[in-house]
Amino acid sequence: MNPTSGDNSLNRRQALRLLGVAGAGALAAACAGPGSGSGSGQSTTAAASTTGSVGGKISFAHWRGEDREVFDKIIKDFTAKHAGTSVRQDISPSQDYQRMALQQIKGGSSGDVFTAFRGAQFTDMSKAGIFVPFDGKPVVKNYKADFIEPGQSDGKQLGFPYQLVFNMPLCNADLLEKAGNDGSPPKDWDSYLGLLDKLKGLGVVALLFPGGSPADYNQLMHSMVMNNAPSDDMFTKIESGEYKCTDDWFITTLKQYQQLSAYFQPNATGTSAEAGQQMLATGKAAMMVTGSYYVTVVRKLGAKFPLNVLAPITVSADKVKYVGIHNTTFILGVNSAGKNQATAAAFVDYLSDPTVAGVYANGTAQHVTVENVDYTDPDLNALSPWLKRKTLLAPLFQFQNLDIRGAVQNAALEVVSGKSPEQAAEEAQRVVDQKRA
Amino acid sequence: MSSPAGTVRRSATSGTAADERRPLRSRRRLSRRVHWSLYLFPLPLLVPYAVFFAIPAIQSFQYAVTDWDGLSPTFNYVGFDNFRRIFTADDLFRNALFNNLEFMLVVLVLQTALSLVLALLLAKQSRAGIALRALFFFPTILSSVSVAFIWRFIYDPTIGLANTLLGDVGLHGLQGPFLGGPNAIIFVGLAQVWAHTGQLMVVYIAGLHQIPQDVKEAAIVDGANRWQRFRYITWSLIAPATAIVMAYTVLQSFRAFDLILGLDQIPPRSTMDILSTRIYTSFAGSEFGYATAESIVFMVIIAIVVWLQRRLVRMTQAGG
Amino acid sequence: MYQFARRGILLVYTVLIAVPLLIVITGSIKTNQDLFSHPFSLPLAPVWSNYPTVLGGQNLARAFLNSMIVTAVSVTVTVFLCSLVGYAVARIPGWRGYLVYGIFVVGMAVPAQVSIVPQYVLFDRLGLLDSLTGLALVNVVQTAPVGVFIIAGFMKTLPRELYESADLDGSNHWRTYRSIVIPLSAPSLAAAAIFLSVMHWNELMYPLYFIHDPDKRTLPLALLNFRGEYFTDYPLLFTGILIASAPMVVAYVFLQRYFVAGMTAGAIKA
Repeated sequence: MNPTSGDNSLNRRQALRLLGVAGAGALAAACAGPGSGSGSGQSTTAAASTTGSVGGKISFAHWRGEDREVFDKIIKDFTAKHAGTSVRQDISPSQDYQRMALQQIKGGSSGDVFTAFRGAQFTDMSKAGIFVPFDGKPVVKNYKADFIEPGQSDGKQLGFPYQLVFNMPLCNADLLEKAGNDGSPPKDWDSYLGLLDKLKGLGVVALLFPGGSPADYNQLMHSMVMNNAPSDDMFTKIESGEYKCTDDWFITTLKQYQQLSAYFQPNATGTSAEAGQQMLATGKAAMMVTGSYYVTVVRKLGAKFPLNVLAPITVSADKVKYVGIHNTTFILGVNSAGKNQATAAAFVDYLSDPTVAGVYANGTAQHVTVENVDYTDPDLNALSPWLKRKTLLAPLFQFQNLDIRGAVQNAALEVVSGKSPEQAAEEAQRVVDQKRA
Repeated sequence: MSSPAGTVRRSATSGTAADERRPLRSRRRLSRRVHWSLYLFPLPLLVPYAVFFAIPAIQSFQYAVTDWDGLSPTFNYVGFDNFRRIFTADDLFRNALFNNLEFMLVVLVLQTALSLVLALLLAKQSRAGIALRALFFFPTILSSVSVAFIWRFIYDPTIGLANTLLGDVGLHGLQGPFLGGPNAIIFVGLAQVWAHTGQLMVVYIAGLHQIPQDVKEAAIVDGANRWQRFRYITWSLIAPATAIVMAYTVLQSFRAFDLILGLDQIPPRSTMDILSTRIYTSFAGSEFGYATAESIVFMVIIAIVVWLQRRLVRMTQAGG
Repeated sequence: MYQFARRGILLVYTVLIAVPLLIVITGSIKTNQDLFSHPFSLPLAPVWSNYPTVLGGQNLARAFLNSMIVTAVSVTVTVFLCSLVGYAVARIPGWRGYLVYGIFVVGMAVPAQVSIVPQYVLFDRLGLLDSLTGLALVNVVQTAPVGVFIIAGFMKTLPRELYESADLDGSNHWRTYRSIVIPLSAPSLAAAAIFLSVMHWNELMYPLYFIHDPDKRTLPLALLNFRGEYFTDYPLLFTGILIASAPMVVAYVFLQRYFVAGMTAGAIKA
């Protein structure tokens, strides 16, 4: 423990630096308190402009680790086109991104071009004023108008939802065919249960429920309520107090969860996403509760069979409003606190080009909201019929309050674990009431 | 003024050669008057400690009576409304509190018992014993995130080790969803016990080594059997070690933030939510005022539990 | 009978501790399939590619360096500054000495959650979020209480005559501190340093609140993020665990006695 003289001088230097910082800190602490003026983000005026010259470094903040390589390729082409630019990908996993991205981006240290989840995050980000609007820019016309509506707020096009995802169970189309399904949506609840019975008869897990992975198992909620709920903005209404978790339609939904759980794998509430992917990829499960975003993952794990998506239909044939769920998310935005907004805007323009969007779509097996894209990937082509079917924009993202959303989602999980639907609904509603106050 | 500590120190060291060499009076004067430069010594730590820890900690009381969301330039003072909500109208906080207490009890009982048993078995110095001690201690130095990932792999009910092994040995009845079930917090507790028992075993071994050899020998001569010797001699003589082990375990179980995050996500499912993760969820939901109020209640709860636990230890020792 | 039970218990516990560790070690050189189908056996054919993947692709190398810097700086500074306080506490007579000691030690009763939100705001204003300096600074102030507790606790037990004879020789405080007290306190400084190293190396909460920039992540945070990014490919995750633990494991193997002493001191004091 005897410090050498070298260590000693480091000690002193560090001590001095700390003292210097402490001096500044004392001042800041003395006048600091909640709400008073912030050193970053908030006070930044739009000194930079999106129309200046393109060059220099920018950061691209997003949550799609699995897209890193495709973006690397796109970035390489972009930087080749614009000499002197470089784009760094700042990737956080989706859960972390959902939590912390706003704080990070408003500081301007990261995310000159950033992405937002549709829903609470987009609302928070637009409230914080960190989007530079795209109104009046030619790039808006590259997108299919109704797909980019979720990127609007107060009549302004703040960002472009880039990806089009189908948040429905992912299926092994071969197994489904053996059970008599040709890939088209089931007619009603009975025929859906009939399909599950046949799949079970094949000796595989009919519907794999990854209860250890909230990001995945919660996707089932979209399709469970799309036809059950009396309106399409059912979750906005739960949050506003107009609807309650104890309403008949939600209790019915929970009861149907209970029925479905008979077709899940044993101990479903603990199964992790990676276990689920493994089971689906190796043909041990026919369908997995998740979304089309796992297509590439399952392929990487060695799946050779054709893939499809298929949502449960929870009502009788005459009551069917929607046959599936889609979501437009990964909302691209230019950061108003960014120091290089011209380059950031140029990068978004570049991503919005149909050819580039095609590279992204085919490279990641994701549909995009950009029009006139040539889909060549066989998995994308297999899912393309869903582009024409009547699907609902994923409703769970209507929630703005994470605790309320958590309570509603938790009710379904509790029912799968064996709690009675009525009790689970009541407990969820208590939390909703408390958090609405 | 002559401090009690000074007296203790003097008496503790009296009789040394240095003591006798110097007249008493000069020593007393020296110990009372010190050069002013001595007061510079605490400053390099005191200043940053005050600015970056003490003042913010005190400020939290100011935050706690606001509804600040961490983003807006404005906020309202809401008085004790945040506290009223925590105590009367927050099922999530109450759920986290109960989970936390359950977690604490599981860890407290298992970890204390297991570390004591291992210490008793390994107290004797032998080469194999020392090697085993080193192995058992080892998980302590791993980060909780690493420990959590290891146990996630073990607990996964579909592909994980636990169910596979239980199936292989025919114990299908014990298979379960583990972290997916209603008792998830108990399984989190087991992971915690796995990681920290070795550390507390070492505390117990140190305690056992302080028991005078002649007391044990006297008991053997008296014909006390192994259990009697433990019950009437060892147990009461290692009471200080037990107090340390229990106090540390209690504090640890309120800090088990990393472990839950590694095993689940933020926000964790309700069965695994504990107080520290609940506070973090409020913070991440931009409820800065409410999160701070929760953290103050958290501090008070810890203080009460620690106080209760100390009383309990004192009572059992007085009684046993 | 006793010996039989003793061996049995120790054997079972050895298996419980060792098997998970062995699975992590062997798992890091297995493929996904191999790990799931034969978790306990040696790899069918060792796969070394996980290591470069983890260090390069995930930028764990960067996180490793960040953790090294933050831990080295915060441990050195904490131990040094706490030893200064310890010296003062041991020498300031009467209630003033207690006051200095008490000011620091009372901090142990305050969970980090209480100060963290105001700290977050303060660090934001000073531009210390997303900075390794900020992390080191917060490490120093957060562990100051336990550091003072261990080091001052030890220095108070040094014989008083030691200080006094130095004073009689005309030594000033700085010289007494440096050439007498520090060498004699080496065991407690080492214990504190090791305890703090493990704490700082594994610290997750502050990086989680304070660090958003992927280039500034420390190892525990990188490891936590790792899960999402690789949709938990377990062999890669195990590789990450091994890399993240390596420095502590190496230190443990060589400095085992000090580790046990330091971590025990930490437990006793904390």
